[in-house]
Amino acid sequence: MPIVEARGLTKVFRRADKGSGLAGSVKHLFARRYQDKVAVDHVDLSIEAGEAVAYVGPNGAGKSTTVKLLSGILVPTSGEVRIDGLHPQRDRMTVAHRIGVLFGQRTQLWWDLPVSESLAVLRDIYGVDHATYRKRLARFDEVLELGEILPVMGRKLSLGQRMRADLAAALVHGPRVVYLDEPTIGLDLAVKDRVREFFRGLRDEGTTVMLTSHDLADIEGFCRRLVIIDEGRIIFDGDLEAVKDRFARERILHVETTRPVPLETLRSSLPGAEVTLEETPLRYAVRFDRFAMTAGQAVTVLATLTDLADFRVDEPSIEDVIRRVYSGDLVLDDTGVPR
Amino acid sequence: MRTIRLYPRLLGAHFRSLLEYEADFLILAAATVLMQVVNIVFLSALFAKVPVINGWTFWSVVTMFGAVALAEGVGSLFFDGMWNLAWQINRGELDYYLVRPYPVVLQSSSAAIGINGLSNIVTGGLMIGAGLAHSAIDWTPWRVALGVLLLISSVVIKVSINLGTNAACFWLSSPSPMFAFAMHQVGDLARFPLSIYPIALKAVLGVVLPFAFISFFPIASLLETGTSRWVGLLTPVIAAYCAGLAAFIFRRGLRRYESAGN
Ligand SMILES: Nc1ncnc2c1ncn2[C@@H]1O[C@H](COP(=O)(O)OP(=O)(O)O)[C@@H](O)[C@H]1O
Ligand SMILES: [Mg+2]
Repeated sequence: MPIVEARGLTKVFRRADKGSGLAGSVKHLFARRYQDKVAVDHVDLSIEAGEAVAYVGPNGAGKSTTVKLLSGILVPTSGEVRIDGLHPQRDRMTVAHRIGVLFGQRTQLWWDLPVSESLAVLRDIYGVDHATYRKRLARFDEVLELGEILPVMGRKLSLGQRMRADLAAALVHGPRVVYLDEPTIGLDLAVKDRVREFFRGLRDEGTTVMLTSHDLADIEGFCRRLVIIDEGRIIFDGDLEAVKDRFARERILHVETTRPVPLETLRSSLPGAEVTLEETPLRYAVRFDRFAMTAGQAVTVLATLTDLADFRVDEPSIEDVIRRVYSGDLVLDDTGVPR
Repeated sequence: MRTIRLYPRLLGAHFRSLLEYEADFLILAAATVLMQVVNIVFLSALFAKVPVINGWTFWSVVTMFGAVALAEGVGSLFFDGMWNLAWQINRGELDYYLVRPYPVVLQSSSAAIGINGLSNIVTGGLMIGAGLAHSAIDWTPWRVALGVLLLISSVVIKVSINLGTNAACFWLSSPSPMFAFAMHQVGDLARFPLSIYPIALKAVLGVVLPFAFISFFPIASLLETGTSRWVGLLTPVIAAYCAGLAAFIFRRGLRRYESAGN
């Protein structure tokens, strides 16, 4: 049985359509007009225990709303959610022990308490015994380096410190399912790397993790499953590598030769590839489909024509692929097969 | 029960930061005491002219004022976070409350300590004490128990009205507790013996928003003053009703909670 399951999950926000200023507010009192915003639109999602899933999409796609629905914060307009078979509102207390949630945009630490005290309050709310608590903190400390920030007041934390403390706060109770919503937003690179390492540790321990991000570097090397949401609808749900295979077939071989070679010669000896000159002399770019030829074959062919001083192969990042999906360049159906 | 044991822990967490603002605390405490002194002076002036209003003497009205102060004091010392509910809803602060295994309403109400509640409780207690000392009733164990029950019920009613009116914010979507505050102002009318008011106002204070059960009715029963002594015996029932209704309103409101977009 999947540990997280959503069927036909839909959330419509009703926004008061106020005109601007006082006049608008007064008018609104008499004639209420609303504008419906479908933030999440018939989402079906099923996550197995121990699975790591990346949930990506552009800003406003509905990622945070999905997380709020999956954690029981919002009541869906229609459709339903089950966590471990439980109803998130009806069994709120039980579900709360099993899930951990982090919203990168918002802290759950008490602004008027030192971090250590915020964590201790959470420990008591969840009823974690002191020995387990100390063990967990020590483990978080290894990667997140909490020691220096424990005595700092919530309101005095820098963004990076806050995020590290918030990660610990979301996990003090050892949840089985963790939702991380934009957990690297605004962090500098050093902190980002540390936090990403922490996620991998979490995944390796067998925690079910759903990571929401619009920074694709967060997901490379983190999970195999990729879910892409756009305008509230899931437009892809499948294997990250398969997406790369399917949509990132193109490779670019950059070569540098020891003496000039006519472009025509290169083109005729590499049919099926696209050869262009690069800005600096003696450098060429060869674009090819990795299923039509291998980089090795291309290099071998070129080596018979001239001496190669240097070469390098570029593969597109998943970022490029998803960007193409967003831009409507690639259209996927529910199964991830291009139409 | 764990739920109850945890409450002082959550509330107490704010205590240390409260002491950082010692000056604020002292000013607030002084202001609260001063307000009660003004009340007493006003009452003595009033009763110097008319010794009895509808059967109520100076000391019985002091007891009533004391009951109001006590109920308000408990409301702000222990449940002041309720007054932040509008803000909490508007800012999406209930998000994290909703994923913790502790009642959302208690997380909300323990989010702040109203330290002026302490001086209200003390002055309220003194006023009740002085009022009772000047009354002619004899203190059988039964009457002591009744007194305690009535005072507890009175506090429950005040806190429930605070909760119910603040929970209206789930529908009003205003970022400030204006509605609850306006209702609180209406409740101030119930400081005086209800019998001086026209029937419509009596109905409001006795039935719609039963502020009269915070002080007028229970104190009338306890001191055997005025004409409607038996009504006060219903105070525990009204308290249970108010608490149930407030919890119901809060729960319904929570289902409407929409968090906040970023
Ligand atoms: N509490 C809310 N009230 C009204 N509209 C909201 C609310 N939360 C989100 N929205 C709207 O729903 C859409 C999806 O938002 P969100 O889930 O936050 O997207 P993401 O996290 O992918 O950036 C956006 O258009 C946003 O403006
Ligand atoms: Mg978001």
